[in-house]
Amino acid sequence: MKLRHYETMFLLHPELNNEARDDAVEKFSSIITEDGGQIINIDQWPLRKLAYKVQKQTHGYYVVFDFGAKASTIHELTRNFRLDERVMKFITTKLSDEFNAEKAAGKYAESKEADEGQKAAEAQEETSSEGKEE
Amino acid sequence: MQRPQNRYRRRRIYVRRKICRFCADKAIVMDFKDANLLKHFITERGKILPRRVTGTCAKHQRRLTNAIKKARIMALIPFTSGHALKD
Repeated sequence: MKLRHYETMFLLHPELNNEARDDAVEKFSSIITEDGGQIINIDQWPLRKLAYKVQKQTHGYYVVFDFGAKASTIHELTRNFRLDERVMKFITTKLSDEFNAEKAAGKYAESKEADEGQKAAEAQEETSSEGKEE
Repeated sequence: MQRPQNRYRRRRIYVRRKICRFCADKAIVMDFKDANLLKHFITERGKILPRRVTGTCAKHQRRLTNAIKKARIMALIPFTSGHALKD
């Protein structure tokens, strides 16, 4: 069946430790991959303050999945999000009807390169300014 | 001769075309995860600012509205200042 390009963001309970969070991420990513999906990127945000209280909590950990999957996988994923008490909120959006793994992965490769490029430029500036001081 | 000119000026004095930020800078990606960007398009009470205030074009205003609503659902930006957590 055809893969579509989706993005899922969910909010994990703030009292979870690193291991418990990794465990939850592993659980949901395996749901996608075991159903023939393909994960391009997993982005785990640091502890963040929420805009309003959710389940009486003021903070939480956000996790963003960028992946390709069948439409039926999304149903299964949503069902599991609802059952899991570690997940406080979640949202899945369809980015595109077509899923092109290489093209989608390119976005992250570019941003990584840009980061490295910036760092390199900064390093160069530092060395050049040092040279001037001398 | 001078009178009509003055009238014309008085009428036009406050008219200034605003430019859509998303059309001007194609590098900005509209994304509901980017709370800092969306903050520019909501009031202090958390309401969505109208096009006539921000100058956003119709196409981008539609997308902006959807992005803001998604960000609200994910608790990235408040629905209203009454429920918002104070810093």
